[in-house]
Amino acid sequence: MRRPSRQEEPSRTVWRSVVRTAGRWFDELRRAWPRDRKPPRPAGERGDGQRHSFLAPAAYHPLKRVTLTDEVGRTLFEEYAAHLKGDRGDEETGWLLLGLRQEDEALALATLPAGTRREAGVAHVRFSSSGQITGSRIVRQLDRRLTPLGVVHTHPGSLRHPSDGDYRGDSQWVANLRGQEGVFGIGTADAKRGNGTVFGVQPKPHVQCLGDLCLSWYSLRKGDTNYRPLSYGLTLGPDLARPLHPLWATLEAHAEQLDRVFRQQSQVTFAVAAGERGPALTVTIPLAEPGRAVRVQLEDDDVRYFLARDGDLLEAGVGEGRVDRGVYLLLAELAARC
Amino acid sequence: MDFRPLNDTERRQLITALRGNADSDRAILMDRRDTSFVGTADDVTDEEVISAIKSVPCHY
Repeated sequence: MRRPSRQEEPSRTVWRSVVRTAGRWFDELRRAWPRDRKPPRPAGERGDGQRHSFLAPAAYHPLKRVTLTDEVGRTLFEEYAAHLKGDRGDEETGWLLLGLRQEDEALALATLPAGTRREAGVAHVRFSSSGQITGSRIVRQLDRRLTPLGVVHTHPGSLRHPSDGDYRGDSQWVANLRGQEGVFGIGTADAKRGNGTVFGVQPKPHVQCLGDLCLSWYSLRKGDTNYRPLSYGLTLGPDLARPLHPLWATLEAHAEQLDRVFRQQSQVTFAVAAGERGPALTVTIPLAEPGRAVRVQLEDDDVRYFLARDGDLLEAGVGEGRVDRGVYLLLAELAARC
Repeated sequence: MDFRPLNDTERRQLITALRGNADSDRAILMDRRDTSFVGTADDVTDEEVISAIKSVPCHY
């Protein structure tokens, strides 16, 4: 082994210093440079490029599609079929759709019926709004994002397109909707025989048929000169208003009073519960004491009042058919005992 | 964590969200993975819904 000469010693020291400095620079550079550097995501966008469905869209674009939950689809076809067989089967009928308005898609999550107090004939239908207002309050307890999306109504013949009369009203009405655009479904009973009633078919992107019933979907935006055919799709999910449908006549009969109680008292909740003869609507008004509440049960024409106390229900003998008056009589009675 | 200045769009969205929170109690949403701002909850007011329901036109 050869010993380094005196001339070689300084150059080796310089070389070591250069290597050490370069190594330190490289290490600093490596630490400063993120391993997985990606462009920043805009607010509201997930890693996979899809937007969160729960976000408020920054802007509403023209609708490309309406999606119905499977139960909303069933409600429309089942209740349309039942309507045709009923006493008023010759008249037009319809439903208001509530759901989520996304950037360029509408998701229908609830159907509010035209109502037993609707004004209708063979060539028109005007919805009864009192039941629909209370119905919307009840359904929106579940999700405050639910908004009116549009209207489904039926035609007696085979006109699968909204009429000129529809356009005159809808073109003004859509200004009240999110994105100033509405979803409109036209129901007709003119599909070809042989479709079967076991499953639905989609002869066109905007047409949905089951048996001899068809729903044709359109959108109309403020300023449009005509409706646009709108592709529809189905997804798994509920009709959030369906449990209320058997109670609709009761809801309408007490709608104004229920609405007043809802607006005047905080934390009022509605629910559908088992009554004596079928489903009943219950209204719960919490009291100041923990675990206590006034509960009203509405079943057909019967109005019953209860005091809920730590899980027990005590019926109060308030013989009052008007819900708002009955609630305040009971609250006054309870206040007098405090 | 990705510490960086917000771009113009994000800054506008955040300011709108903060105003909505202060004025109308609208929730400000946060990404649970990295606590970044991801928008606001799209609550619809009762007044807006009821106004639309009351004004549904007659259909023919």
